[in-house]
Amino acid sequence: MTLALALPTRRVEEWKYSDLARALGDAGFGEASARVSIGAVPAGVEVFDLDEPNRPDWVKAHYGKLGGNAVSAVLLAKARGGIALRVPKGNIIEDVLSLDFAGEGHVRALLVLEEGAALTLSERFDSHETRNVGFEIVLGPNAQLNHVRLSPVSDAVQVEEISLTLARNAVYCGHFANFGAKLSRIELAITLDGEGAEAHLSGVSVLSGDKHADVTTKVTHAVGRTQSTQLFKKVAGGKAQAVYQGKVIVAHGANGADSRQTAKALLLDGRAEADLKPELEIFADDVKCAHGAAVGDLDADSLFYLRARGIPEKEARHLLIHAFLEDALTDIANADLRETIRGAVSTALNEVSA
Amino acid sequence: MLDIKNLHVAVGGKEILKGLNLRVDAGQVHAIMGPNGSGKSTLSYVLAGRAGYEIIEGSISYHGEDLAALPPEVRAAKGVFLAMQYPVEIPGVTTMMFLKSALNAQRRSRGESEMDAIGILKTVRKKAAALNVSEEMLKRALNVGFSGGEKKRLEILQMALFEPKLAILDETDSGLDIDALRLVAEGVNNLRAPERAMLVITHYQRLLDYIVPDRIHVLANGRIVAEGGKELALELEAKGYEQIVKDAA
Repeated sequence: MTLALALPTRRVEEWKYSDLARALGDAGFGEASARVSIGAVPAGVEVFDLDEPNRPDWVKAHYGKLGGNAVSAVLLAKARGGIALRVPKGNIIEDVLSLDFAGEGHVRALLVLEEGAALTLSERFDSHETRNVGFEIVLGPNAQLNHVRLSPVSDAVQVEEISLTLARNAVYCGHFANFGAKLSRIELAITLDGEGAEAHLSGVSVLSGDKHADVTTKVTHAVGRTQSTQLFKKVAGGKAQAVYQGKVIVAHGANGADSRQTAKALLLDGRAEADLKPELEIFADDVKCAHGAAVGDLDADSLFYLRARGIPEKEARHLLIHAFLEDALTDIANADLRETIRGAVSTALNEVSA
Repeated sequence: MLDIKNLHVAVGGKEILKGLNLRVDAGQVHAIMGPNGSGKSTLSYVLAGRAGYEIIEGSISYHGEDLAALPPEVRAAKGVFLAMQYPVEIPGVTTMMFLKSALNAQRRSRGESEMDAIGILKTVRKKAAALNVSEEMLKRALNVGFSGGEKKRLEILQMALFEPKLAILDETDSGLDIDALRLVAEGVNNLRAPERAMLVITHYQRLLDYIVPDRIHVLANGRIVAEGGKELALELEAKGYEQIVKDAA
């Protein structure tokens, strides 16, 4: 069987809005290894190159244990290299750790935060080559991770699967800023595995031309008294396609689970498309779950109000689009990273035929 | 300053204004009174340039220029200001940021230099205090969670800040209690000036106790049907619109 045949087709429900085989064409994903690098390593963070022999116990304990979607199962096995990072028990890291993915092919990463550890992670995706990334994150009890991922506009096919487990009272805040690719897919599989665990996901997409960006999340409340929130805002112009699929699963007996999902899209062109699909699967009795999705155009009354006060139409539109995205951006705790994302949003908005 | 001749305006294919004539000179305050559905709001929107208000006949001349040919932002920069009946709530844009963007956009359009953030802040603070607009309101998202009175006060604050030549107040009194009404009216009266004209649109005579107009026009069924001095308001109050419209016919 060739690799191309093994790729998920659009008949697979989770890949309905992202035609991977078609985007890759005959070349498929290939078998190359992509690269992952880190910036300055803050004191208190351990790094292990997955190409090296003699993996330490913490790598053996967690590497390759999570995830397993169609792409990762078939293709990530091909990834030879990669990086493993650990923040040992109780280490609170003040400096931001940068993680950069680049090059063509497959690559993997592992991040382990042990009990009580805390880290801010800035993940960047180089825009040039076709890439498939598998990233496993393990949060121990009371660990805290702030994660901001920026993927700039790209002509390539870029896929990443992030698998994350949270032990009791661990808190994960993830922001995903995506400006589209030939096909861009970020898949998040999150398991809230201990009481008091919280996952807060937010993201913005600003797409122009024929770009595509797919955020697919699966959050499992495996035990009770766990919390998850999701807020994704998307702006699509041209013939761009914005996709959000979010599934929240509350396991049997996970009473006291609290989940909220919101996805909203602004379409600036009649040819642009937004596919928003929040889903709930609840097997417990005592839960609080809410979800909502909305697709619309800029509000005509607001636009008139701003113009009637002297703000030119283009500027007024940009102001309203920024305003639309704002609540998803304020979820980014780190001020520098928040401003970086704001800047990227402004740049992208200038490209959108607003 | 403003000269409207035989104005016919349709909204969604339905004719609302049916041959309206109105002339307002600098330094004057004119009131437009009329029953619901007479075309008062249509007049204010067509002057401000809202989309969907189609001029099928007639003309609007502003300082000798064809006002209808200009987009709303250019009208604003040239001094036309509409205090809206229902100010729009815009989450995600702070009031202060909005004021700064609007003021500087108008200045740019007139070829004036932009004001820096500190200069604007000082100016806004001074004018805001007089209208009882708090610092906290300026930090909040534009009109979001504002009471009816707060929204109207913010409209008048904008008027004070932008210093328009033609100010149109569309039902500024609606939804205000008597204290808020006094405060707003005082703000408006402070802006009366020889170079400025005002058009006060209202359903009720009450507002005109506080903002005393030079001239009152009664709008009914898309036309001005009666005109007079400030005493006309009292006559309207006594007789009601129906009688005045009948008398005029």
